Amino acid sequence: MSQTELVLRGTARGFQLDVDAAWSERVAVLFGPSGAGKTTLLEAIVGLRREMRGRVRFAGEWLEDSERGLFVPVEARGLGWVPQDPTLLPHLSVSGNLRFGQRRAGAKGAALLDRAIEVLELGELLGRRVEELSGGERRRVALARALASGPRAVLLDEPLAALDLALRTRVLPFLLRVRDELGLPMLYITHDPNEAMLIGDVAVVLAAGRVIALGPPREVLWSQAVLPFAQALGVENVLEARGVGGALVETLRGLRLVVPADLPAGGRLRLGLRAEEILLAAEPLGRISARNVLAVTVTSCEVRAGQALVHLDTGAEPLVARVTGAAAEALALERGAKLYAVIKAQSLRPL
Amino acid sequence: MSGGEAIAMATLTLRVGVVAIALAFLPALGLGLWLARREFRGKALVEAVIALPMLLPPVAVGLGLLLLFGRRGPFFPLLHALGVELPFTWWAAALAAALVGFPFLARACEQAFADVEPRFEQLARSLGYTRASTFFRVTLPLARRGVLYGTVLAFTRGLGEFGATAVVAGIQPGRTETLALGIWSRIQLGDDSGALALCAASFALALAATTLAEGWLRRAPRAGVKARS
Repeated sequence: MSQTELVLRGTARGFQLDVDAAWSERVAVLFGPSGAGKTTLLEAIVGLRREMRGRVRFAGEWLEDSERGLFVPVEARGLGWVPQDPTLLPHLSVSGNLRFGQRRAGAKGAALLDRAIEVLELGELLGRRVEELSGGERRRVALARALASGPRAVLLDEPLAALDLALRTRVLPFLLRVRDELGLPMLYITHDPNEAMLIGDVAVVLAAGRVIALGPPREVLWSQAVLPFAQALGVENVLEARGVGGALVETLRGLRLVVPADLPAGGRLRLGLRAEEILLAAEPLGRISARNVLAVTVTSCEVRAGQALVHLDTGAEPLVARVTGAAAEALALERGAKLYAVIKAQSLRPL
Repeated sequence: MSGGEAIAMATLTLRVGVVAIALAFLPALGLGLWLARREFRGKALVEAVIALPMLLPPVAVGLGLLLLFGRRGPFFPLLHALGVELPFTWWAAALAAALVGFPFLARACEQAFADVEPRFEQLARSLGYTRASTFFRVTLPLARRGVLYGTVLAFTRGLGEFGATAVVAGIQPGRTETLALGIWSRIQLGDDSGALALCAASFALALAATTLAEGWLRRAPRAGVKARS
């Protein structure tokens, strides 16, 4: 039996949901365009959507089964829920909010809270008032409060949404530490494919209230089922790489690329590459400023609404490029076509 | 009029006011919460009925109380069996003050609870707090400004209660004569300076109550503050 099984039907907050999904991976991302029903589904798991009918088993425990008349109340589910709006209690200080979370954990609470404060680096914020915190700090406090409650699992609703780029890069490492160091089952909502690929062991893709794909993030985000939504989802490339000297990196699957700056050899990093920043050329270009020119073969080309998603075999790492439908036609992009993919070093952004 | 009489009247008024709030507080709190959190058919009617003691002439409210609790009233046998004599005691004055203050308190509570974002309560419950402890640890603290405001309003309304009290408790010096009733009887007796002295005492009581509450409100957070992201 899967650790998590969701069979839910119904309308809540104007969203019609018809979900059927099961997985056992520890870290799942719930992924989809805005308006897909991600938050509604998350709230159903939290226990706030009693109007939904069906079965919910989450992280190994049955929470709902309308046929058996089972509905575990919100307070008995033992989950650590961090809503999109951090919802810090305004009548309590930062440490008051954290202790508010700690209570459920009982005797273990103090140790859990200390650990959360350490992992999320909140030591200096403890004496502050909630309204003095920045957006990123609020999210970290809300996350720490959930962790201090000793949850069986953590549910995060777009923890990076509405943060500017600088803040995202500050908060993201904390999320990864929580994921890697605390070992809790996690369900993470995002509409950002980079985040989905970075965070998740499994991706559950939701569109218009239905699960349209489920599997390893790298595979399902480019699956046939997801293609109609690819543009709304902003499908992109995420590459795990390590430095091999100078500005040269090698991905785990052996693709060598030049990045904008020198890196220590052996240093691990993740690179994001937007699909539309890959240039496709039918013939080799002569002298060119772009540092990466790869000989590639087209594995598939899907044209939708004037946009073509082109899947490329580089001999090592698969890549996906987005060009206009007209360009795809002009270059005769079809399976087996031999091309050159041109990637500026600047387009490879560390995540 | 002696100073002792005035002090006795002020003490009685305070006692009536405090007991009135004690009687009205929990029902008003519960009713306010219920109205703030539930939508149902006929809600407007319920709200109108609650507002009645505020809208009717207080004398009519007093008469209503007398009809319910007086010698021929439906509650008389029960109270009599319990050995409680309500009409024309200071308890009747407290009951009258509670009734006329109730609409102020209940509506203020309703508004204060409606201003608390349900999301705060949902979050507390997700962290393991039961409905009851969520109410005491989240809802009530966030609503306390409005609840306190309503309490002060109802309390001061009770301090000045005249019409209903005169009907149901009578004007009995030393027994049911509160400051408001005392002022009335001094005017009847032509004792203007006595009436003015009692007015001053009333003023001092009301001022003390509101000042105390203002000081407290200053420290209480505004209800319904949304957490910004």
